[in-house]
Amino acid sequence: MAISSVTRWVENRRLSWPVDHLRSQQVHLLVVLALLAYPGFYHLLTSSSVSNLAVAILPRMDSMVAVLYFALFAMSFDFISGYTGYLSFGHAAFYGTGAYLVILVANGKIPLLPPGTPFMISLLLAGLLAALVAVVIGLVSFRLTGVYFAMVTLGFAQVMYVFVRGWNYVASNPRDGPAIGSTHPDGFEIGVPFVDQLNLAIGSFSGDEVTLLGHTLGTYTVSFYMVGLVVLLSYFAMQRVIHSPFGRVMIAIRENEERAEAVGYDTFRYKIGAFVMSAFFGGIAGGLFAGFKRSVTPESTFYFLTTGDALLASIIGGFGTLAGPLYGHLFDYGVREFLSNRGLGGGLLPYLQETLSQAVLTTTLPGGITVEGFIQAALNGHASLYVGIVFVLFVLYVPGGLLGTLRIGLGGKVSERLPAKLWGDR
Amino acid sequence: MTDPTVLTELTALALQAGFVDGLTDFLGPSNLASVVVEGLAKSAIYVMIASGLTLIFGLMGVLNFAHGSLTMIGAYLAGVVMVVLVGNATGQWTRMAFFFGALVVVFIALAFLGGVMEIGLIRELYTRPPIYQILLTFGLTLVLEETVRIVVQFYGLQPISEWQGALGTKPAFMATEHSLGPLSVRGLAAFEILLGLATVAAIWAFLTRTRYGLYIRAGSEDAEMAEALGIDVRRVFTVVFALGAGIAGVAGALLMWDPVWGASVPLAAETLLPAFVVVIIGGLGTFRGTVAGALVVGMADATTTWWFQNVFITWTWLPEMAVFLILVGMLVVKPQGLYGVEEVGGH
Repeated sequence: MAISSVTRWVENRRLSWPVDHLRSQQVHLLVVLALLAYPGFYHLLTSSSVSNLAVAILPRMDSMVAVLYFALFAMSFDFISGYTGYLSFGHAAFYGTGAYLVILVANGKIPLLPPGTPFMISLLLAGLLAALVAVVIGLVSFRLTGVYFAMVTLGFAQVMYVFVRGWNYVASNPRDGPAIGSTHPDGFEIGVPFVDQLNLAIGSFSGDEVTLLGHTLGTYTVSFYMVGLVVLLSYFAMQRVIHSPFGRVMIAIRENEERAEAVGYDTFRYKIGAFVMSAFFGGIAGGLFAGFKRSVTPESTFYFLTTGDALLASIIGGFGTLAGPLYGHLFDYGVREFLSNRGLGGGLLPYLQETLSQAVLTTTLPGGITVEGFIQAALNGHASLYVGIVFVLFVLYVPGGLLGTLRIGLGGKVSERLPAKLWGDR
Repeated sequence: MTDPTVLTELTALALQAGFVDGLTDFLGPSNLASVVVEGLAKSAIYVMIASGLTLIFGLMGVLNFAHGSLTMIGAYLAGVVMVVLVGNATGQWTRMAFFFGALVVVFIALAFLGGVMEIGLIRELYTRPPIYQILLTFGLTLVLEETVRIVVQFYGLQPISEWQGALGTKPAFMATEHSLGPLSVRGLAAFEILLGLATVAAIWAFLTRTRYGLYIRAGSEDAEMAEALGIDVRRVFTVVFALGAGIAGVAGALLMWDPVWGASVPLAAETLLPAFVVVIIGGLGTFRGTVAGALVVGMADATTTWWFQNVFITWTWLPEMAVFLILVGMLVVKPQGLYGVEEVGGH
């Protein structure tokens, strides 16, 4: 129990508030450390003797970047849907707004903003524009509740989806979506704007590589850390709101809106406020997505199934737990990658084809197909089936999701109860 | 305070796009009549894809996200029946007979699937908040769609493009135009209108003229009271879910023949969203409202399609956007829909 002895040492020294604060954040610290260590861990395992297995099971580094920015979107969805109980089924509108704005700025299509605008500024603008869209949508939608609220937000998002699909100002072929053009050949830099030394670019080809203590961190690893930094900051910002009196009112609205109103809260304002904040972070997530991928499609941004993915992540991770969607999406994405055949290495299909002997692969099963044919038919890119089954099982039997169930088991918030369980209450 | 220059500019823009010419054209009797017929055909399709949804919501309060997937399965199933039975030499009336046979097969198969879904999965969730039913049926969509995709790919078909083989089983008179007095009507449009009318009449008769229909109306109004009066509400729930699934399948069978839709895996999402719009515009859970909603959406769709095809040729998004704008507009003006009751669908 190394950590336990450290904390005991810390307590005995009775150090000041920063240490107290850190101690209350032990679980957060552990998660962040684990994520920090992941690239090294991945590199070690995939170049070791179990590399075949490791490549098959572990999510690739570029996937981990995608997990991070989409997890932020799922968190922003959970922030409004899980905490106030208003299912924001058109949340993809904010993700799309952020993503499209970043690309349009880089392509010089937004008046007053040159293509060279620092990414941190266009990211902020992406969040602000999404928030502005949320004000408009929210003012209409929050007059309704329940299913109607979900449907009217869905309606707004679909209107935007259809619109960007047909608007040839955003791209020469709007149905395929816009991509970064020649006006912005460099990678998008995350860091302190206008200070070159404090920036690192993200992206698979245009990103920066960093040499640290003789090791070269590839573009994916650098992107992972830089995107992770933004996601972490956004997470803590949302967590602060949830823990503030404002957040208590959000939960009160979920539990019993009439009572919250009777107590004297103007719930309409609180709902709009929460919606706007969640849209802001949804826009940031979309901006990160566009910055990393450098091209987006209407389907991957404004379409209602994008919201569906956030919903999957939230339910599997834990509805109404802010960090849950991260684990939920990691799980979702991990399963998808494990069961799909993308040809980039990794996944169950190439692993089985490599490790099973030829005799097993050519055996004929009842029904006349070979084992290899069966594996192909059942596994090749059909991860949605298995994710769907897992999702249905979660809805039926684990309604709290991963984190929510852990929370129930520990009898309180994981970040508070886990340390207490591990090394006793203090 | 309107700036006159803006107005002039707007008028100029409208003139440039041929708006006035278009309007005169549009209001011409033959154009208007053909738009109305097309609108009726579209309304018939919309009422068929939406009525199952509204029956289920009206009684059980379950917003069935898997509804579109059931329609998609119905389309494929009907396609299988038709492709197996119909050869090149099959005559037109035999094809029609086979189609009605396929309708029966699809209805029974989908009703069975719906019954199994209700008993096995959805029944578990009646005591939970309504959001969980949305979640569960959303998960079912993923499972159903991917399963169909696997099967379809296994037989060497492209899951994302329409199944041409099934489209080809259409009788010849449906693919051509027929003159009905001064009107020229597509054969398929006429068939769609007739089948839509028949479906609406059948559901209407079932709800108002049969004992089970009475149970359903009673259950929709007050499930607790109905139970107290000795109705086995649990069984009524199962029957209604099966019925809704069956109607979804029948709608799919019709769409299989329509080149605008066709049997394909994305058909699930393509029908689900307009079905939601229709049901919500009409007022969640009222069958009368759904019929009215389908008429509104169908007419709007046909009108905007005409404008897009004849005047604003570059506005590809016009018809699709109109449907969702109607939804948003309706919810802003009258959230409970045309015939909706205030409390339904709230918290």
